[in-house]
Amino acid sequence: MISILNVLLGLGVALFGFVLQTSVGGINRKVVARLQKRRGPKWYQEFLDIFKLLSKRAISHGWVFDFGVIMALGGIIATAMFMPVTNNIIAFEGYDNFFIFVYLIAVGMLGMAMSASGSGNPLASIGVMRALTTMLAYEIPFMLIVLTIIKLSGTSSVSGIAAFQQMSNHNWFAIALPLGFIVSVLSLMGMLGKKPFETYIAPAEIASGPMVEYGGKQLGMLFIMHEITIFIEVSLFVHLFLGGAENIAIFLVKYFLVYTVVNLISNVNGRFKIDQVVTFFYKWPLFLAVVQVIIAVYLGWVIL
Amino acid sequence: MANLELIILIVLVLGVFAFLGGKLNKIIGTAFTILGSGFEFVSIAYYGFNSALDSTIEFIPYLSFMPTALGVFFGIILTFVFFMVSFFNPYFIDKYKYPAVYSMLYLFSLAGVIGVFFTDNFMTLFFFFELVVWTSLFLIPMGRSRKAASIYYGFSTFGSFALLFAILVMWGANGGSFDIETGLTALNGSETILVFMLMMVAGFAKLGAFPLHIWLPKVLTKSPDPVTAVFSGGLEKLGAFVSVMALLKLSPVGINIGVLDMQLTHYVIAFLGALTIVFGTLMAIRQDDAKKLLAYSSMSNGGYILVALALMSTTSVSGALYHVLAHALASTAAFLAIGAVARQTGTTKMSELGGMIHKMPVTYLVYLIAIISMAGIPPMGGFISKWLIFQAVIDKGLIFISMAAFFGSIGSFLYVFRPLAALFLGQELPEFKKTIKEAPLLMMIPLLVLSALNIFTGIYPTDILRLINKVLAELGIAQLTIDTWTITGNNGDLFPALIAGMFGIGVGVAFVIFIVLKKSKKVGLMDTYTAGNFIYTEELLHYSVDFYAPLERLYAKHTDIMKNFYKKLANKVKEFGAFVKYFFFTNKPEVTVIWIMIVIAFLLWGDVL
Repeated sequence: MISILNVLLGLGVALFGFVLQTSVGGINRKVVARLQKRRGPKWYQEFLDIFKLLSKRAISHGWVFDFGVIMALGGIIATAMFMPVTNNIIAFEGYDNFFIFVYLIAVGMLGMAMSASGSGNPLASIGVMRALTTMLAYEIPFMLIVLTIIKLSGTSSVSGIAAFQQMSNHNWFAIALPLGFIVSVLSLMGMLGKKPFETYIAPAEIASGPMVEYGGKQLGMLFIMHEITIFIEVSLFVHLFLGGAENIAIFLVKYFLVYTVVNLISNVNGRFKIDQVVTFFYKWPLFLAVVQVIIAVYLGWVIL
Repeated sequence: MANLELIILIVLVLGVFAFLGGKLNKIIGTAFTILGSGFEFVSIAYYGFNSALDSTIEFIPYLSFMPTALGVFFGIILTFVFFMVSFFNPYFIDKYKYPAVYSMLYLFSLAGVIGVFFTDNFMTLFFFFELVVWTSLFLIPMGRSRKAASIYYGFSTFGSFALLFAILVMWGANGGSFDIETGLTALNGSETILVFMLMMVAGFAKLGAFPLHIWLPKVLTKSPDPVTAVFSGGLEKLGAFVSVMALLKLSPVGINIGVLDMQLTHYVIAFLGALTIVFGTLMAIRQDDAKKLLAYSSMSNGGYILVALALMSTTSVSGALYHVLAHALASTAAFLAIGAVARQTGTTKMSELGGMIHKMPVTYLVYLIAIISMAGIPPMGGFISKWLIFQAVIDKGLIFISMAAFFGSIGSFLYVFRPLAALFLGQELPEFKKTIKEAPLLMMIPLLVLSALNIFTGIYPTDILRLINKVLAELGIAQLTIDTWTITGNNGDLFPALIAGMFGIGVGVAFVIFIVLKKSKKVGLMDTYTAGNFIYTEELLHYSVDFYAPLERLYAKHTDIMKNFYKKLANKVKEFGAFVKYFFFTNKPEVTVIWIMIVIAFLLWGDVL
């Protein structure tokens, strides 16, 4: 039964996710800086940014502007509360259904999109349009791969899928479904808004898209929301493809590796136009995903 | 006990009263529609839930009724939609040419709907089915579009004739009896396939599914706003009812696709349903008229119902039935919200509207809740049904159908957001700053009730699922495992109230963070970042035309395929007509006489053989 302790654990997971991703993000700024032969900021620079923003006095464009920000952060915190961290650290055992992460995260996104459009700035609306279009592009191949995983493991619970991979005679799905792994790395880059799929932020083109009108506490809250969103997406990837984590150390290592690798790939890329994003995902990733489903589900060729 | 015959008679009589009252005063006529549909909803819901509907016939000969769980389920939803929409009638009645007739036909079509759901006789079913078609046919041109009505008539007639043909084939196979239960089981072999196809044509035509979907956007755009809501939330679902009959009760056994473990017939229907989803989604994304956009979204959601029914598993059928309910509530709410905006501003074009949220905040919230449900996002009802349907699709491992289902689901985020951004949010256009007010109080009642139900169905689906379980038992399908709070699917459990509760806690935490920090300074909407340009007109800062232009461009060339196909078909029919006319109905009587002679000779010759 669900008790207050579960809820507190869930809130703890959300807080953990925020702290973890903000630190990892900070370290990654240093990694990227070394790549570009710079020294880079301190690893805790992102914390400083967020807390400074939260302390500043901001402007508001009406009630939906504020309400959307609250809904965005609330939706993302709620999603993070369901996320398993390791095999034992999970707030609501048995209810961490994959579809909750896909659809509950959408409430947060919707809140943010609503707030951005409510600011009355056309650049924000363009950014939202691009974000939604990108979502339409990367979700379909990704969902097909997840379909295969659910079909093979017989459960849609994220911790259940991780446990399935940890069984002695099973491989990680990254190895069992090699084509699917490639597709899902590309989809993960789309989800995280990394180059070349960062079209909806595009600072030089549409002035950071949805973020254009924000400042002060609203921007600080959206930063928190953004960090938790990345935490959700990357740990979802860790649990679906990399066999989850037996303990917290393994989780941290896997998490750091996935985020850093994706970040490094993105830093040697340029930016797609939005229609290129759509045509890209509907060409090779979708084809590979369909091939993967056919050989895994119908032919049963899985490297176990 | 409540007598079904009496319930139908009362609504017909009230319809006549509505006509007579409407002649005296338009508002009296519409008051009768509220009264009549409210009475129908209360009696069907109350006695239906307690299985206390009585089917004895005293007054009308040749009719026969038999309340089933399926009929009760559909009946409650449809009468509720009629009841909710009827609150809008008094505010729209001024725009119609024949207000008294409108009130009468509104109640008559409600009578037809109830008759379809509760009869156990095919001829009665057909009679009531046609009653719905004919009454709605005259409701559509109240919005002054005859073309929409004629297109609707064309497709509906096609469906009706298919249904009649199917009924007559069953009549022949069943030894001259029109009974539904025995009729569906009396068929064998190729007859089953024939009747199945014919009934599915009727279902597709009514549901507006691909390839018989042309009428749906036309009718839903051109008809008056309350009629649109009734169509999308209610009358369309008649197609789902007929499809349930064909796909689950008749369910022909033909070629089995081994690798999918599915009947070919059912796979074809599921595939067409998948096409309906994709087609509806792509077309909805590119509409400028908010009503047309929602019309295509209804089409796409109809596709989900078809896909789920065709899969025939416990989760899929319960998902389909739950989707009928969730979509009826959500789309009625969305159409009514748009209708409220249309009444206050006189347009539904998104390119002409903007910033309605500042004057109509409640309508905005209603629309927001409706689209969250329509897009299948928790904590609203649409999520439960989509979750159930996805469980079934994944369990079957159907690639292309699941691809379409995922596409439609993510695509729905795109199209439902467009009216939100372009119509309700964005810059407040100057022409709406002074004159616009929030919708009147009576219109608020259905909007708020529907929103409350959208949330309720997403948090506590147990009672509704119990009713659906009764339907499943009647259809001979294994029951869905439900607990007080949880639903068990094929590969996982769902705890809707937990999701909603955690969402509440999350929003609470975010609200606390928001409120303890420094208060923001309020600035106007025009006070925005413009990259150093000086812009003083709201229109220039409002992004609403061609919202998804980069995406639309990718498939803009291919949007008219079906329309062109039907145009070509119409031309071919015309040509054929001219050909027939040229040979058979010339001005020379002797040619006609010769043809008659030849036909008679041919018939006699056939008789000899």
